[in-house]
Amino acid sequence: MTTISTQKSISIRSESLNDLGKAAKELLSFCGETKVITFSGNLGAGKTTFIKSISQELGVTDLVSSPTFSIINEYRNKENIPVYHFDFYRLKSTQEAEDTGCVDYFFSNTYCFIEWPAIVEILLPDEYVQVEITVDNDIRTINATHKQNNK
Amino acid sequence: MNTKPVIILAIESSCDETAAAVLSDTNILANIIAGQEVHKNFGGVVPELASRAHQQNIIPVVDEAMKKAGVKREDISAVAFTQGPGLLGSLLVGGSFAKAFAQALNIPLIPVNHMQAHILAHFIKASPPGPLSEGEGEQSKPSFPFLCLTVSGGHTQIVMVKDYLEMEVIGQTIDDAAGEAFDKAAKIMGLPYPGGPLIDKYAKLGNPLRYKFPEAKIPGYDFSFSGLKTAFMYFIRDNGLDNTCTTPEEFISKNQNDICASLQHTIVQTLMNKLRLATKELGITQVAIAGGVSANSGLRNALLAEQEKGNWKVFIPPFEYCTDNAAMIAITGHYKFLQGDIAGQDTGTKARLYF
Repeated sequence: MTTISTQKSISIRSESLNDLGKAAKELLSFCGETKVITFSGNLGAGKTTFIKSISQELGVTDLVSSPTFSIINEYRNKENIPVYHFDFYRLKSTQEAEDTGCVDYFFSNTYCFIEWPAIVEILLPDEYVQVEITVDNDIRTINATHKQNNK
Repeated sequence: MNTKPVIILAIESSCDETAAAVLSDTNILANIIAGQEVHKNFGGVVPELASRAHQQNIIPVVDEAMKKAGVKREDISAVAFTQGPGLLGSLLVGGSFAKAFAQALNIPLIPVNHMQAHILAHFIKASPPGPLSEGEGEQSKPSFPFLCLTVSGGHTQIVMVKDYLEMEVIGQTIDDAAGEAFDKAAKIMGLPYPGGPLIDKYAKLGNPLRYKFPEAKIPGYDFSFSGLKTAFMYFIRDNGLDNTCTTPEEFISKNQNDICASLQHTIVQTLMNKLRLATKELGITQVAIAGGVSANSGLRNALLAEQEKGNWKVFIPPFEYCTDNAAMIAITGHYKFLQGDIAGQDTGTKARLYF
């Protein structure tokens, strides 16, 4: 497996919860050095579940759960390196999101997994990875793209 | 022997409420909450507004609590504050205030875990006795060990409580909280915020067995509500397009009470099944509840039914101690103070905090 991908986009198919770990590995390999990743998909598409798998691949031992209420969840891996999990589902504007201090996290060179990212897209670093999850009869298609944020 | 009561001033600002309380030993003298009505217009808790509002509220709230309690600054033995978990910006407001207050008066500072405090709310005594919620009279207190189900918008835990400050989380949600399941289902149905109480209201008028929703099969005492959310969404979508309805909205408006009753029944039974398993396996029959969802009538009735069957002794705190409040921070501060568990000015607030 290559650790640094030169592809602009990939599509990963996941047929059950059991192969999400493999999908997580593929995604991390595709991301390479890029650590800010957005996750889009309908309510119930499996965004939190997939982030849980990715965090486990990164060695996170904390419980990964929905940050809808808390907005920002912080986890640590075995080396005590933080991983941040955001959910902007309940926020209404970019200003409100910015006031949470999220930008400091995005530029901290730590993993940032962002659910419901629409209102923070213009706050993201120049390079990030956009993940879109679609579900059809329990088969998940995970499309990931390296994005350039040209502000 | 010094018989002077221990007076604790407590501050809570972990999320959307700014609250202050004054406690004399275990008797509550004042419990003040500045609700943030502004959030209703935003469909949830807005952190920036939250921390700004905390800054505006904190001094008036503390002032009112001390006036109501009839205590002066020099009467206060220690200041307790919510250290976490919560939104960092919100926690910082209460934490900074508490530190400054403690330093100015040269009294001990006591950081409190919000989740532990929810549980210890059971030990608050109303003073003077009454008026209590729902005319329940002076609450009987659980004795150790007991199990506590803490359920709110952000948390779902079963905690084994061995002593005031010795407790262990034995089960928790691996994804969404029970309160989140209520709120997201309400949002799918187009109900206004906060959705949980509305679902409870309509559920009282509906048939809880009309629709079947899946209950997650999770090992041990853990919970999962993410699958229920997904199943509920497809349920609304698919029924909105069957031969009796043309849109999901039509299906919802025709069957609102039964949908709410069935959904609530599923969530409550999921919680109850894990509690039943825990009580059986651990041989503990005292069961307490805490957190905002303990206001849910379906959950209360299910717990009381177990008590009537003679299986459990059930403890439900008055409602004002279920939702976020500072009285629970004060009572936790009280027990920590008695154990000499105090902190220096170098203590901080933590968004991520376990016990």
